Amino acid sequence: MEIIQEILKYIGLAFIVMGSIFLFLGALGIYRMPDLYNRLQAGTKASTLGAMSVVLGVGFIQPDWLVKLIIIIVFIGIANPLSSHALARASYRAGIKPYFKKEIDAYGKAVEKQLKKIKKKLQNLNE
Amino acid sequence: MALLLFLIVMAIILIAAAIFSIVQKDLLFAVLGTGVISLILSIFFYILQAPDVAITEAAIGIALTTIIFIITIRNTTRDENKYNDDHINKFKTKKDV
Amino acid sequence: MFKKLIVFILIGVIGYMLTVTFSNIPLGENRIGSLDNPETVSAFYLNKSPQDLKVANTITAIVVNFRGFDTLGEVTVLFLAATGLASILYRKEDEEEEENIKHFAHRLNLPSSSLVRTGAKILFPLLLLLGIYVFIHGHLTPGGGFQGGAIIATGFLLMLISYKGFQTNHKVMVWLESLAGLGFVGIGLYGLIAYGSFLQNTGWTGNLNDLISGGLIPLIYIFIGIKVATELTNVLDILLNIKPRKK
Repeated sequence: MEIIQEILKYIGLAFIVMGSIFLFLGALGIYRMPDLYNRLQAGTKASTLGAMSVVLGVGFIQPDWLVKLIIIIVFIGIANPLSSHALARASYRAGIKPYFKKEIDAYGKAVEKQLKKIKKKLQNLNE
Repeated sequence: MALLLFLIVMAIILIAAAIFSIVQKDLLFAVLGTGVISLILSIFFYILQAPDVAITEAAIGIALTTIIFIITIRNTTRDENKYNDDHINKFKTKKDV
Repeated sequence: MFKKLIVFILIGVIGYMLTVTFSNIPLGENRIGSLDNPETVSAFYLNKSPQDLKVANTITAIVVNFRGFDTLGEVTVLFLAATGLASILYRKEDEEEEENIKHFAHRLNLPSSSLVRTGAKILFPLLLLLGIYVFIHGHLTPGGGFQGGAIIATGFLLMLISYKGFQTNHKVMVWLESLAGLGFVGIGLYGLIAYGSFLQNTGWTGNLNDLISGGLIPLIYIFIGIKVATELTNVLDILLNIKPRKK
């Protein structure tokens, strides 16, 4: 029984570390994204996963509390995406427009350069 | 040692949120600053071994006080200078949504 | 300029008095009053509460039993605030509703999306259940009447925001609030008549950590929980439906 408790404790610690990494990445995403809609996506997805992982890790360290913690995980999984959906709808109706970059076609220039190189080679071959 | 560092960082964020909510001109952001103060205060109450006060502060300070302030702001103006809402109206489109 | 000078002098005086008062408390000594130093007031309460009253949560015992009169004062202050708000802003339904709807369009113009409506329907009974659990088990787990009432008010707020035509029955809320307040004062008067002191704690004290233990403490917390929940729901309902006065 002691060995099983030790193994479960290390699994729980691994879950907590992974959860805190995801929470930090979510906060970094909110800081760096250029637009409201991008920030909503980064914040909700990363922080929901991080919160669920931390709570599950605590559940592995103390196996007595596991049933209550699973109820908390289900509640977080229902409530977080719902609130982010409501925020996005409300901000669209209030009139906030998304962010469009001016040059979208970044791949087209590389294709043009390749075509020019192939044409030069063909001309050199023909001459 | 780690607990002391954590408490110092939380105290700095608390003072920064308080100064932010005083200096802001847009009233909606100031109300959200008050919500952040209530959140950090609730964590402090839990660390100092008072779970009853932490639950009360979390339920009333974050949810109900912020909502009542937002309803009041909706009935009145959103900016401190009452007749000048231009820097907020530029986000709205022409249609009546 | 003169006003600012007076303000600074007053702040200096109050700061000096606070410093003199707080410097009498030695820094670093354990004043939390555990069972180690039995001379402080908190050690007296910590000893008496599990042995005589058989209540596991000492804070509940202090709030309801040892200092119950102050809780009556706090409930009165909440009642005064809600009544004052309702006396200014509440108006009954009228027949001429068209101008009011155009001028203050505070109900939703467009309905919410179906995701939000379904989610609110799922979460509302769970929130009510959590709130009732918190104030019934007030003497065993951290919590109590005020916390449970705030959670129930948050559940009603979720439904009020998501649905366009959701109305709470105003008469039922008002009657529940008044009867709960009367119940609290009635328990105090019963103690006064039967035993000679206001809010005397009688009743069945069972074992520690039982649901029925501690005399009248769970009953008082049930009354406080119902009163706070209906009061805060009333305040939110009035604030969301403000109508202008008739000219």
